[in-house]
Amino acid sequence: MARKRKKQYEAEINMTPMIDVVFQLIIFFIVTVNLDQESILEAITLPVAPYSREEPRKDPRQITVQVDRRGRYYIGSAPYDLRGLNMVLKNTVRRAGANIPILIRGDVHATHKYIRRAMDACARVGLYRIKFAAMKHAATEHRGGGR
Amino acid sequence: MARKRKRKIREKTGDQEAEMPMTPMIDVVFQLLIFFIVTLRPIDVIGHLDVFRPAPDPEARPEEQIEDMVRITVLKNHRFMLNQMRTRLDVMEQNLRKIASRSSRQTILIQCAEASSHYSLVAVLDLCAKVGLVNLSVVTLPPARGSS
Repeated sequence: MARKRKKQYEAEINMTPMIDVVFQLIIFFIVTVNLDQESILEAITLPVAPYSREEPRKDPRQITVQVDRRGRYYIGSAPYDLRGLNMVLKNTVRRAGANIPILIRGDVHATHKYIRRAMDACARVGLYRIKFAAMKHAATEHRGGGR
Repeated sequence: MARKRKRKIREKTGDQEAEMPMTPMIDVVFQLLIFFIVTLRPIDVIGHLDVFRPAPDPEARPEEQIEDMVRITVLKNHRFMLNQMRTRLDVMEQNLRKIASRSSRQTILIQCAEASSHYSLVAVLDLCAKVGLVNLSVVTLPPARGSS
């Protein structure tokens, strides 16, 4: 009686390439995560300006004043009234000089009088170079303050 | 022959192949991957519009006209004036393009009414950036004039 010899193979999935890909993905996400986004208020919708200048490198001395639609002022995520804003700007100029770039992130629905007060606070302490933040390209369609 | 000898040695000494358990590591790695995918938000590209804010001069006369200065007035409800003439944004673009073709260093004075929207100011600044005008000053109209 002829006996057939059966060969038995253990089925194993090769995990190495999958782990490689997964690690590559994790490294990509870690590198591309933007930690600077924490200081940006989500409540402020920027107006759209497709021809605005994109700044490749941010000046580390730059102060960002955020103005929401109700005229509340923020530096970073800390709220300030006008007197507080004046104090902060005055102290900054005393410490670092008047050559500091000022970026105003005004909400699309804010009226100019609120923006004017922020600009006047800057001009009063000698900060004349002011930049307005605007959305050059919206990452998603529903964000963007265009009309 | 050699294989048999090896097996004998392994049986004698009780050696086992050392294997690293991969399952917990893969679990953790997948958890991390899911966390990053869920928390990832696409970032908007932010642009900057540079302006010059002149310091308020208490001795300056409000009606003082400076020769050859182009004045853009931003009014309430997204209305605009170019050198005191009512205009639309598309018409203003053509005029500004002509001005920019003569000199991109031409000073543009943007006067904003207090009640005007910040969106309207940014629209004008974007238009100036589009045609290549760089010398932009922003001032605020007195309340009585800006309300018209």
